[in-house]
Amino acid sequence: MPVSVFHRLILTAGFFSLFHAAYSAAQHRSYLRLNELEFTSLPIDILIQGVASLFVIMYGVLYIAGDFKEIKASAELENKTWETYKNIPSFYTFNHRGKAFSPQYIQPTSKLHIEEIE
Amino acid sequence: MSFTKNKSKNADVVAYSEAAMRNNASVVEYCRTSMAALSGCTAGLLGFTGLYGAAFYIFAVTGLWGMLLVKAGSNWQQYFVSRKALLTNGFFGQLFTYVLCWTFIYGMVHVY
Repeated sequence: MPVSVFHRLILTAGFFSLFHAAYSAAQHRSYLRLNELEFTSLPIDILIQGVASLFVIMYGVLYIAGDFKEIKASAELENKTWETYKNIPSFYTFNHRGKAFSPQYIQPTSKLHIEEIE
Repeated sequence: MSFTKNKSKNADVVAYSEAAMRNNASVVEYCRTSMAALSGCTAGLLGFTGLYGAAFYIFAVTGLWGMLLVKAGSNWQQYFVSRKALLTNGFFGQLFTYVLCWTFIYGMVHVY
């Protein structure tokens, strides 16, 4: 599966949620400080939001990181045909002498002419 | 293309593609580094101290392992040689990233 807009949106939403949880925690701390209460633990909703947004971000990261490839060496060879391996670009021939038989063929006058073309 | 050959006891030769293995390892490493940083941030903002933070790290590592296996699907042997190595690789290396983010975000949220 390629990286899609969907996964980027999930990642962004997770980051916003995590930031919101952090802000809530900071506000809870300042509330405790103003009322001179003792800190025991955060309210359960902030805890749940923090952990849930962590997993949402991890899900997004997992898909943005990329796809796994099959580690069997034969896996990528199975889907290719012999034609793929027969194709060797170094042996391509573009300048065959058979083109001299074409009716549109204009014979170059000299070696100098060939060098100009090149 | 180069192959690494792994011989098991019954002389059954399995050839692995090195490029594919390296690709998978880099994907897992990316996920693991992000997970360490993000779970460190989460542990900091949730205000964990002491052993609760260490327990949360183990929880996050196991969670990432489970998510990786879910992503790999039912036949994880296609993508990874060992499932246990997927869990334990770089455990202590990422712990330092985790502690860094944990202390930083704890200071940001709870101290100041």
